Amino acid sequence: MNTPELCTYMTQGAVMPFCKGCGHSNILKKMNDALGKLNLNPNDVCLVTDIGCIGLADALFDKVHTVHTTHGRSTGFATGIAVADKVLASSKLKTIVLIGDGGSMIGLLHIVNAALMNVDVTVIVANNFLFGMTGGQTSSLTPEHFNTVTSPFGSMNPSLDICQIADASKAGFIARKTATDKDLTDVISEAIAFKGFSIVEVLELCTEHGTKRNDLKGNMLLKMAEEEGHKIGVIKNSPVRPEFSKKYETDVNSHKGEIKPLKYINPKFIHNLKKPNGIIFSGSAGERVQSTAAMFAEAALMSGLEVTQKNDNPVTQGSGFSLSEVIISPEEINYTGVASADYVIVVSENGLKEIKSQDVFNRLNDRSIFIVDDSLVIENKGLNIISLPLRKYCGGDKAAVGAVDYVIRKFEPFPHEAFKLLLEKRFGEYGKIFKEEYYKL
Amino acid sequence: MKMNTTTKKLALRNGNQMTAEGAIKAGCKFFAGYPITPASGIYKGLIDLLPLNNGIAISSPDEISALAYCVGASMRGVKAMTATSGPGWALMIETVQYAMITETPVVICVVQRLGPCTGGATQGAQGDILITEFASSGGYTIPVLYPTNSKECYELTVEAFNWAEKYRTPVVLLTDKEVGMTTESLDYNKLNAPPNANRHVITDHDADYENWKMYGFDSPDMIAKFAPVGGKVKVTATGSAHNAKGYLKKNDPETLATLKHLEDKIQAHRDEMVLVKEDHEKDADTLVISFGITARTMKDAVKKARAQGIKVSSLTIYSMFPIPKKAILKAAKGCKNVIIAEENINGQYRMLLEPLLKDFNIIGINKLGSMITPDEITERIVTL
Repeated sequence: MNTPELCTYMTQGAVMPFCKGCGHSNILKKMNDALGKLNLNPNDVCLVTDIGCIGLADALFDKVHTVHTTHGRSTGFATGIAVADKVLASSKLKTIVLIGDGGSMIGLLHIVNAALMNVDVTVIVANNFLFGMTGGQTSSLTPEHFNTVTSPFGSMNPSLDICQIADASKAGFIARKTATDKDLTDVISEAIAFKGFSIVEVLELCTEHGTKRNDLKGNMLLKMAEEEGHKIGVIKNSPVRPEFSKKYETDVNSHKGEIKPLKYINPKFIHNLKKPNGIIFSGSAGERVQSTAAMFAEAALMSGLEVTQKNDNPVTQGSGFSLSEVIISPEEINYTGVASADYVIVVSENGLKEIKSQDVFNRLNDRSIFIVDDSLVIENKGLNIISLPLRKYCGGDKAAVGAVDYVIRKFEPFPHEAFKLLLEKRFGEYGKIFKEEYYKL
Repeated sequence: MKMNTTTKKLALRNGNQMTAEGAIKAGCKFFAGYPITPASGIYKGLIDLLPLNNGIAISSPDEISALAYCVGASMRGVKAMTATSGPGWALMIETVQYAMITETPVVICVVQRLGPCTGGATQGAQGDILITEFASSGGYTIPVLYPTNSKECYELTVEAFNWAEKYRTPVVLLTDKEVGMTTESLDYNKLNAPPNANRHVITDHDADYENWKMYGFDSPDMIAKFAPVGGKVKVTATGSAHNAKGYLKKNDPETLATLKHLEDKIQAHRDEMVLVKEDHEKDADTLVISFGITARTMKDAVKKARAQGIKVSSLTIYSMFPIPKKAILKAAKGCKNVIIAEENINGQYRMLLEPLLKDFNIIGINKLGSMITPDEITERIVTL
């Protein structure tokens, strides 16, 4: 088959670097013929080869783009190439992965995700039931009882049905063939022409490691597959799902107008702050602690101050404590932790526990003021504590908001109007956000 | 009330958001992400921004895929980036070496958190300096940039792309939880990013086309022109040791020279990759060196020490690797002591500077689990 007429993609006179009788030679010739059948411009073809004997193929194709990758990851690289081509470039490229059974095992997730995405990639799995290049070890596609160098008494596990995996991953084109099938060229060309993800598993013999250890001939491959319960032939050819770039166009790109651009803030208010202030906000997750701190920070920014806000919470974002350290300053802020707190706002038991564990009682100065919910008991004597019925008057979800509003009203680190503006934008008319009694505090 | 009439473009932005915006400015067109605290903000940022800027951001099923997708996209000819933290970086290490050996430009943002392993997802750290730099078999240099605030995240992300493009290499933008996730006031009018650099692409009508090779070079500083997959010039890329044309070869002098060139090309350009900020004080006995979030602490500490009448200089390092040796020696000149402050237990950068600074009294300030405070540095400065 390796004639100058057909050999438009393969290097003329290329010597196959495979053992005598190895199925790889046949697969590569059939793939070359499939490319010829589709009459593809060689510049529009990229072979992405995996590690293993089949991965030697790239050196045999001197006309098409070849990308020889790391073990198992070929489909991952191919996905990036195909997405970039279809969405950002010429959209002409046909990306074909050549991978062995070992590679398809270590890189299974790349195959699954490429199928789920329905990227325009064809994966050809050259399945000779073992790792050939490294000496004939068992792979996940080795059939049960099959003898390999690492399963000298026969493989213990049944083999993975990669076509069923592809099916479960919603692949549109799935075939299982043998390397000697007369219609292999046709099936591979169909797979390459398929608009979207396609996979062709080709069963073959490793004459170095497979046939020496097992009573095996080429004509037994079909029977072996059957015994494993694996279907043969073109299992699925269903171009129902749109190829990735088409789906991206309708599902994402057409919505991009809905993405809101960032709004810049222009300082509208004048602050009267001479020195940096550090404020620690502490409470429970889900009770607007960090978002209130952010509102406070924004109001400070609207008043011409420099601001930093450092948040802390447990790894699960919706439970336990929630804490923010905010610094507002007339000058540039370097260190972003509150080393010496001017205000400590504590609105729940979780919050109180956390400021103890974060050593806040040793991060105070002689001006430090605590604003705490009146349900909490702080025993440290000599502290300037303002205890308020915040949860009662503002509700648990707005206790932090009420506490901050109180701090700004009473101590005016910057104009209360700035904060009020943001409050009203978020919660409506200022006088109706909290219970009536709150405003008398 | 009097209204302020200045026209600033202010916003509250964190480092992750500005890294994403920096990527857009740099011309990034492709992002693949896998969620991980504290880096997820970059992923979210680019999911929103890339479609608006003629690019695409996609989700990947793991970090290996994320970087493989990016390298594939870059091979197709577009600027690509991913972002992760320590556990994800561990998974990307094979793939970053693939980008290195295939000379594929790509940017990886590593937002450090507390390690080892899963460590503390919401706790900051600067413990990934060694694993970031020495991620390759063979110990090849990965250029690493490290900003200290959200403004610099923007600017250095552009620089990271520029280095990746100019030197055909993976570049790491190293940040940390505090730099990445701490929101701060930012004036967009003050952003000062360098102009974008783009890889030189070979075409079949270039004068040098006949002699062009995928990984060819005539001198240590030469960077071969890039050929995109899908273009008219055939690509022969491989992660295996290869000759200049990109073909796997064993025991071949040209192949070994091609491997060596991966390091030589970075070293040949190292003087162009120096980004530091020196705060020099005449007759200072002590130089403090730091980077990332701790460099901000260092600034306050130096100010406090000077307020006590102590003469002290400081050096913020942005270009962590290649190590800016000349700039460090210049800053240390005339000093007796060099303090190196970093939020890890073993003084990772200090270890690397020790041979360079063998004539100085080297002091490490290290910490685990929370930020080093200004007082912790000031106390060391004043007691020397």
